[in-house]
Amino acid sequence: MARRKRKQLITGLLLLLCSALFPTLSHADDGGLIASIEASHKFSKKLSAGLETEFRSRNNFRTADRVSIGGDVSYKVLPWLKASAGYTLLIDNNREKLTYQDDDVSYNNWRPSYWGLRHRFNVSLTASYKIRRVELSLRERWQYTYRPSKIIDNFDFDEGEWEDDEVKGKGKNVLRSRLQAEWDIPKCKFDPFANVEFHTTRDLEKTRFIVGVSHSLKKKHNFKLYYRCQLSGSSDEPNNHMLGMGYTYKF
Amino acid sequence: MKKFLRYSLFLSALTLVMASCQKDDTDMADIIAQYQVEPVNIELDYSELTETPDVPVTDESDSTYNDYVENSAWNKVININFDGGNVAIAGTVPGVSVQTNGAHVTIMNMSGPVKFIVSGKTTDGSLKFYGDKRFQILLNGAEITNPHGAAINNQGSKSLYVVLADGTANRLQDGTNYTMVDEEDQKAALFSEGQIIFSGKGELSVIAVGRGGIRSDDYIRIRPGVKISVNSSALDGLRANDGIIIDGGVINIMTSGVGAKGMRSEGFMQVNGGRLVAISKGDCRIENTDGVMDTTACAALYCDTLLNVNGGILKLLATGDGGKGMNAKQDVAIYGGKFEAVATGTREIKKPKGVKIDGNFAITDGYFYTYSRRSDPLDVSGSTMIATGYKTYDLGPKVITIAY
Repeated sequence: MARRKRKQLITGLLLLLCSALFPTLSHADDGGLIASIEASHKFSKKLSAGLETEFRSRNNFRTADRVSIGGDVSYKVLPWLKASAGYTLLIDNNREKLTYQDDDVSYNNWRPSYWGLRHRFNVSLTASYKIRRVELSLRERWQYTYRPSKIIDNFDFDEGEWEDDEVKGKGKNVLRSRLQAEWDIPKCKFDPFANVEFHTTRDLEKTRFIVGVSHSLKKKHNFKLYYRCQLSGSSDEPNNHMLGMGYTYKF
Repeated sequence: MKKFLRYSLFLSALTLVMASCQKDDTDMADIIAQYQVEPVNIELDYSELTETPDVPVTDESDSTYNDYVENSAWNKVININFDGGNVAIAGTVPGVSVQTNGAHVTIMNMSGPVKFIVSGKTTDGSLKFYGDKRFQILLNGAEITNPHGAAINNQGSKSLYVVLADGTANRLQDGTNYTMVDEEDQKAALFSEGQIIFSGKGELSVIAVGRGGIRSDDYIRIRPGVKISVNSSALDGLRANDGIIIDGGVINIMTSGVGAKGMRSEGFMQVNGGRLVAISKGDCRIENTDGVMDTTACAALYCDTLLNVNGGILKLLATGDGGKGMNAKQDVAIYGGKFEAVATGTREIKKPKGVKIDGNFAITDGYFYTYSRRSDPLDVSGSTMIATGYKTYDLGPKVITIAY
């Protein structure tokens, strides 16, 4: 009976989360895939490290958006507190940019989409607290991303010609705050999880909601399937809905 | 079953990754192609032009009657022959006094129509006319350079007929520094207070280094058969206060001064025939008046009032910053002929436009082409009327072509 109630509670929470998101969806929203493969190793009870590669798509699964590869090291400072640091090399397919003259009709510049690199460093602190079979965690992550300068093609409609345009090098600091809940359902191979994450610079830049399930096999293999909704705080970037698939190999 | 699920998941992810190979860029290829179009080639053209000679008006009540040199009797003739620093005057006419100072000739004409036949070459000479009587200068192989001002300066307000003797080549050049006389204008290498009517089948080349090339404070008419070329590195190439009428002729104008216009008509301008090629290479002129910055862009053709094109060929090119192929302050109407205006200049200070019209624009016949590399090919502030029946009607972001 209690087990049934728990399942109802989880289902209810997930439905509540989904229903909260749907009114924000629109035709301008985008969809895509996040596919990742990770390998992680536990050196001791406190120290572990991992390597991950990830692929993302956009434009409703039709266009590659990003490929990344990175690694991180985690250390359990306290039984309930984990510190970690990581680096990720991001290879982005930057979206095209089309600008107009003051009349909002005549073209000004068009920069086609282009591939570019970014370097991302992060340090995190994660506090966890278990209530029965639900583990709540709060992760605070400071993230610094540096985009090196790059010369790219730009079509200047005034000049009527292609010209080299420099995308200047830029660094960006973001504070990411994530609150997560994971359920360990007895005798069930699938563990649901949900989280909400806020990306803050000077203002709230974006909010991410994730609901999904993970499935472990022989403690070495872990599969994850999830849905991620990202609400953008800027009108330049559409909201997006991602289907996430992940595999982690632990050794 | 579990294995099946795992493999399905893996294959699904792989399929979605593989499928993500489309670009999400806007398809701009056709649009960019419209912006990358090159203009027609416009260059000075000295080639022969087959023209039908105009028929002089014989009706004395016609306002243009006196524009035809044929309608006056030219039995009073004075010959002026330059020879280096000297000049030989032959012939006398009662009421006409001729004074010389080296090769600088000053003529007071109080007689009726007098014909001055000018020939020879001088590098330090000039012709200056006083008197309110119409007269004719027959340029018969003359080369006059005046380092101190205009090569020909007419202070009279009546008609000046400049006739280019058949098959002759004539050349006028001013100097960089003009020696001015109180209460007298001297605005160009060939300057006249009165109207100038060009005729004949010879050639006239004007080099302007101090001021304008050809200038009238009245109007200028150019008749078929004439070949005029003006190269001005200072001010406007050919300019008239009260209008310009081109009935024919081959006219080539090149200007390179800042803010200079190839041809400028402050009055009504009409093109009935001939071929005008005007090229303006100068950048904007920037003036600071009492702390207020004023900028003036160049134009191959500048019309302060109305322009009517009934026939002929107009080829206009501006290559300097903000330069206009044609800049018209009032209405422009094209009823025939071939009109091409090209602006290839930069847009640092002003916008370079093929054609800029502050009034209305109408076209009913002929051929109209305008191009701007860095701004609007056609900018009309008033209304635009394009008559139906055209064979070509292309409106692109850089080029506009209308042909009947």
